[in-house]
Amino acid sequence: MLHGPPVDTIRRIPRVPQLAEEIVRAAASAEAEARKKRRAPWSGALSLVIFIGIVVGVPKLLSWALQTPHPMAAITSGSMWPTFKVGSLVFIEGVQAEEIRVGDIVVFRNPENASLTIHRVVRREGDTLTTKGDANFKEDVPVKVGDVVGRTLTAFDKPVRIPYLGSLTMFAGKLRAGE
Amino acid sequence: MGIGGRIVFVIVALLFLFALYLSLDANKFRATVHVVEGESVIGVNPTTESLDFGDLSRGSSAIRRVTLKNGTAIPVFVKAITLGGIADLVDLDKNNFTLAPREEVTLEFSLFMPASAESDKTYAGRVFIFKIPTIRS
Repeated sequence: MLHGPPVDTIRRIPRVPQLAEEIVRAAASAEAEARKKRRAPWSGALSLVIFIGIVVGVPKLLSWALQTPHPMAAITSGSMWPTFKVGSLVFIEGVQAEEIRVGDIVVFRNPENASLTIHRVVRREGDTLTTKGDANFKEDVPVKVGDVVGRTLTAFDKPVRIPYLGSLTMFAGKLRAGE
Repeated sequence: MGIGGRIVFVIVALLFLFALYLSLDANKFRATVHVVEGESVIGVNPTTESLDFGDLSRGSSAIRRVTLKNGTAIPVFVKAITLGGIADLVDLDKNNFTLAPREEVTLEFSLFMPASAESDKTYAGRVFIFKIPTIRS
């Protein structure tokens, strides 16, 4: 009678070629991990450079493309509701004086509070524009065409806007002001 | 699942249960307002389920009040969130504040109907008032 290990044990012991294959696979995977760790510091620095490039470069690129020093604006009040909601980010394009029409939504320097305001043109008399917020009942104090900084960018007859994204710039502004 | 995975699972489960408790404990209201021409019809103050601002014409406003009481022995942080089309029209007089144990507060929801509201339209939404237990400092 032959004595030896049970038959199922004999079946479970891997053959030598299989063992060698597993050792090679483990070594290759360890090398790949080591290579990944060596690459990590460079890829982190590259990601940072790309991020800074986007944050600084995109507004400059937009400014050049839209021909205005203020290519983006955050909506901070509900005076243009429901066209623009508070917290939206809108895009502004440069516009020649003669191109401004009644119905256009323009950004202008508000003489009442020395800030930028986005309202709709309701009347034009020569070089004088009368604007009003869609949600307001009263018209604004008339402004000169020269006070207009730009007009909201439209696509398919609708203003281009990104909801909620303006909230980020508003929040950053509050942090800067120390609120 | 290793020990790390189990710990993460327990933490996630606890956070989920906490969020579920907050949601169930929150005061919830359905908020509505109907835009009319001419005279406004201001409804009565809300029931416990709804903030009905009634029928308002453009240029008019209405106020609804909700009383909150902290019946627990620990302070709670009160956070109100308004969702839906009516959210842009509703203002709350106080939000993001701590209510002391056994303290009561009345919240005022005011709604002003702007010039650009559509006539005969109903703006609706939901108001959630979360009460988050806080740790005494």
